[in-house]
Amino acid sequence: MKLTHLLHRVNLPKLCIVLLLGTAIISCQKELKFDEEPQKDHNLVLKFKPVVLYDSVPLVLGKAYTNYFKESFTPTAFKFYVHNFQMINTDSGKIFKLANDKYYLVDFSDSASTEIKISILPYVYNRISFSIGVDSAQNVSGAQTDALDPAKGMFWTWNTGYIMAKLEGTSPKSAQAGKFEYHIGGFSGTESVLKTVNLLFPYAQNLDLKPGKTSEMFITCDAYDWFYNPWDIKISENPVISTPGELAKQVAENYSKMFTVDSVFNE
Amino acid sequence: MLFLGCLLVNACKKSGSGNSGPHPLTFSIPAGFPAPQYTFTGNPLTQEGFELGRKLFYDGRLSKDGNFPCSSCHQQFAAFSTYDHPLSHGFNNQFTFRNAPGLFNLAWNKEMHWDGGITNIEVQPLAPLTAPNEMAEDINNVIGKLQQDDTYKKMFRAAFGSDTINSQRMLLAITQFVTSLVSANSKYDKVKLGMASFTQTEQNGYALFQSKCTGCHPEPLFTDHSFRNTGIPVDPYINDLGRMRITNKKEDSLKFKVPGLRNVALTFPYGHDGRFSSITSVLDHYSSGVQTSATLDPLLKNKIPLTNAEKFYVLEFLKTLTDSTFINDSRFAQPE
Repeated sequence: MKLTHLLHRVNLPKLCIVLLLGTAIISCQKELKFDEEPQKDHNLVLKFKPVVLYDSVPLVLGKAYTNYFKESFTPTAFKFYVHNFQMINTDSGKIFKLANDKYYLVDFSDSASTEIKISILPYVYNRISFSIGVDSAQNVSGAQTDALDPAKGMFWTWNTGYIMAKLEGTSPKSAQAGKFEYHIGGFSGTESVLKTVNLLFPYAQNLDLKPGKTSEMFITCDAYDWFYNPWDIKISENPVISTPGELAKQVAENYSKMFTVDSVFNE
Repeated sequence: MLFLGCLLVNACKKSGSGNSGPHPLTFSIPAGFPAPQYTFTGNPLTQEGFELGRKLFYDGRLSKDGNFPCSSCHQQFAAFSTYDHPLSHGFNNQFTFRNAPGLFNLAWNKEMHWDGGITNIEVQPLAPLTAPNEMAEDINNVIGKLQQDDTYKKMFRAAFGSDTINSQRMLLAITQFVTSLVSANSKYDKVKLGMASFTQTEQNGYALFQSKCTGCHPEPLFTDHSFRNTGIPVDPYINDLGRMRITNKKEDSLKFKVPGLRNVALTFPYGHDGRFSSITSVLDHYSSGVQTSATLDPLLKNKIPLTNAEKFYVLEFLKTLTDSTFINDSRFAQPE
């Protein structure tokens, strides 16, 4: 059952009452839940979806779109690292962190990589948080494998460090052979582009994640955000950003807003 | 019957060797050397890992056209630098960007490359491997080529316990080989251990070296691993700004890593772009050629005045840093 669809059907006063009751019940539950004996985890499947135009249109690699500055661009690669998933209840202050902080490379040319399954301590949460990029320690700790395998093409070899996020493709506005390439990285000191996002659920609802059950959370990733707000990134002016520094930091600040929890399906 | 036989063989293996895994090697730290930077954490040094790394180091398949193994620019007889080449040759008749340094005592390096762009030695091989003017390959292509080879399958299994061939294992094995290139058996070392003595000219040179050179080239590694501008004018064609290329900081303009001077008589030509053909021409630079600029090293503000006789003494001392055991060590040579 899609929660957001359900929410559409109820009128607002009723919804408020339900939510109030809900939070009342939740506040009774919260202390108990964390003190209880270990129980079956909740299986949360995160599904990342590429979109454009403020979450309104699905993005397809190889198709042309137009950014805020009316520049046509055809994305051919769109990928980024995520890790450090946390489920949060800001009312009770409870935070659930995964015991094993694994790195994932979400690559929209590889559909398997866009789904991330994590086991969550059953509880009622109102935020999900995660980090975009690769922590500074992992940037200097030598040869790694799995998502951090340098063969994934997300590693700079002559000025070593990971590319945290990549958006590239073609654009008639680019004077550099009609290509644009945003390879965003930088992990040390003032050059760091590491970002942590904190997302609300649809309609700011709480999610009651039940033991042994599975839910799917769709998170949209809007490529438009890379170009605009708070920084103007025009393909005509900067078709290539491929070293750490001020521009990389600006793009990272822009793309850190690209995520939205679009919908949640409970089992 | 066959099944039984297999069981018996397996049983024998287990009881026979006691340990079927790779054979640990000890990384010995030469007398007087500090603790190394690379500590083999997560990459225990073993005979099998070392041998795999050695094979990879000499294998042209790590390059696009097969002609440029690591050893094409790092020749053992030149202490693993490129003999008599200011810049080395790479894929498609191209020059490399900088002079290939000798490879020895790498476990003590904080950063790799003239500009220090590589912060962990394990990932250093990726730079020459992917550089279009060096080995010009793609990591996945190399792994694909290695996976085709049954000998490699055996060697990866022997070193790491399974057939899996991936970039991590390749890099860890190469790291085991290159960090094992320890050079500490020169005449200088023997003198330090009381097993030999300097001639009078070498002794004079040593005294001069200690008073004029150890500010940047301290014993026993003969480098302090810092980045310094030694007043070498920028080459207008290469336009190499050194450390600034990595840090984007103006104050790092024209700074390059202080090279270790062991085996220095073998690693000519000198300088980040190999512009000095002899040790004498380097000494001439320090005594009279240093060019002043905003980031010039303070120690070179007044250059390093040296008479011709003093240059001769220093040169004679530097020759005592040649480690002929190292360049002839069959463990480091191309495998059969």
